[in-house]
Amino acid sequence: MTAALGEAFGAARATSPRRAGGRGVPRQKLSRRRRAEARWFWVFISPWLIGFLGFLLGPMVASVYISLTEWDSFTEPEFVGLDNYTRALTQDPVFWQALGNTFFYALVSVPLGLVVGVWLANLLNKKVRGRKFFRTMIYLPTLVPLVATAMVFKMVLAPSGPLNDLLGVVGIQGPSWLLDPVWVKPALVVLATWGAGGATVLLLSAMNGVPKEFYEAAEIDGAGPVRQFWSITFPQITPIIFFNLIMGLIGAFQIFGQVYILTSGGPDNASMMMVPLLFREAFSFYHFGYASAIAWLLFVVIIGFTALAFRTSRSWVFYETEVR
Amino acid sequence: MAAATQQLVPAPPLPGGGARDRVTRARTLRAFTASPLTYGVLLVVSAVFFVPFVLMVSISLASDQTSATNMFTIIPTEFRWTNFTDVFTETGLPVGRFVLNSVTIATLSAVGQVLSSSLVGYAFARLRAPGKSFMFMVVLATMMIPAQITMIPQFLLFKELGWVNTFLPLIVPSFFSNAFNVFLVRQFVSRVSGELDEAAQVDGLGYFGIYRQIVLPMMWPILTAIAIFTLTASWGDFMGPLIYLNREEMMPLALGLQYMTSTSNAMQLPPWNLVMVGSIMLTAPMIAVYYLGQKYLYEMNVSGGSAGVK
Repeated sequence: MTAALGEAFGAARATSPRRAGGRGVPRQKLSRRRRAEARWFWVFISPWLIGFLGFLLGPMVASVYISLTEWDSFTEPEFVGLDNYTRALTQDPVFWQALGNTFFYALVSVPLGLVVGVWLANLLNKKVRGRKFFRTMIYLPTLVPLVATAMVFKMVLAPSGPLNDLLGVVGIQGPSWLLDPVWVKPALVVLATWGAGGATVLLLSAMNGVPKEFYEAAEIDGAGPVRQFWSITFPQITPIIFFNLIMGLIGAFQIFGQVYILTSGGPDNASMMMVPLLFREAFSFYHFGYASAIAWLLFVVIIGFTALAFRTSRSWVFYETEVR
Repeated sequence: MAAATQQLVPAPPLPGGGARDRVTRARTLRAFTASPLTYGVLLVVSAVFFVPFVLMVSISLASDQTSATNMFTIIPTEFRWTNFTDVFTETGLPVGRFVLNSVTIATLSAVGQVLSSSLVGYAFARLRAPGKSFMFMVVLATMMIPAQITMIPQFLLFKELGWVNTFLPLIVPSFFSNAFNVFLVRQFVSRVSGELDEAAQVDGLGYFGIYRQIVLPMMWPILTAIAIFTLTASWGDFMGPLIYLNREEMMPLALGLQYMTSTSNAMQLPPWNLVMVGSIMLTAPMIAVYYLGQKYLYEMNVSGGSAGVK
């Protein structure tokens, strides 16, 4: 399945020319049977199609309109043009703070999670006894629902909690994490890194798929384990790393529950992020117009980062199918 | 990589399984040699990752005084098993109802996703129609849209329909499938030969008959994976219930737990020991589902690709 993931991304590159060529083929008149088949196709996809129109496309269009209005949903919406956007970008210091915090969180937690994930996967890929046990221990945190994770980490990250006890053992005076404006974001990163095992399991199965002949050849050539990792393992698993990077970034930019439950954005907006801000504007203050504008700005950020990642991917992500 | 692709269906054995070990080699390659350091690191990481679980159990067994004064220890020293019954009676909240609500919402969502994505995925895999590849591009494109874009208009729509404080906003959208599940089913069905459907078609079976009698029975591995994934996602969902449900008796467990900690004021601290009991009740079924559905881990993993950041 991991291969299928890489394939899904690789396919985007591979199929685009073929699709463009397909348009030139003259359209043939369909036989009656084919017409019936086509009709059934639309019947079968109608659940998705109705959902797409009713729960996605319709709301998206509505969202664009709402973002151009000032609306509390009780009185008539008032059209204000791009005011909500300019307000967010020029007048609302909390917006910039939330954007900055979200960037910090995404750009620290996702790469860190991937480094830990790759590192652990590489260890588990060795001939270790009890691999199944270790893999389970590392994967287990990803099964814990977010709310339960937040509840436990409220305790773990307490000023006199286990994390600071642990730091105390090595002689470090731990900060008061969630209550400290400087340490609240690293605290959320700690919470995210606890779930690094999800990537590990994916990466491990990708590593398993790397042909052993490569390592045998490298060994004969005298390459050490570190060299083998960077020259064989790493290039071979880049599609999965890339997949995790993209999905991780998209997920991290949408962080909500942890912040809402643990800090409510505080102290002093130090952990205020995009979605909690949007949520507060919409469902506490009933600023539906402003909140919709924030949603679209968030969308632009996510698309921007995804596009950036895809753009750089050509230089470091290796799809075997492209070579063949 | 290509070999792995072909053995996608049915779900291959868990990663790191016996396949490689069965091949006898003269000696282990250097890249795969586990040193004592490897074991050391794995043991430390496993232990650190496991601490929150131990802490959860430890606090859940602590007495009220201990948990109120934050005097709990990582390793349990008290064993107040009555906490596990007290959580239903002593919190002033309908915790039993929370659990029932969670089960209801998660089950119906899973049923909806399985039904709808199997229909839609089958059509995308097997039926031919002009415009199909375009529609499939649309399906894939919708995966890019963050939920926050549609969240507000959807809320206004459901509010207009009078669905606030009902389960409908959390369940009904599942019956209209989601792009990712459609993608999974389509990939799965595409990899299975269509000879059987063609034979059935020659025998006069209609498209719905083919779906119902031939394709559906063979799709169960991927549908099980989808059911598991929907169950876990719905069970753990926090934002949806937070938006739509504010009456105590309608809340699922995930929201109810958070509610339990937020209703307490400065005079009265949250009953952390009972909150941890609730957290265990929230977590244990997920671990159970994972073990029961482990065979389908691969399909689930795809969906859980971003699990690390939730």
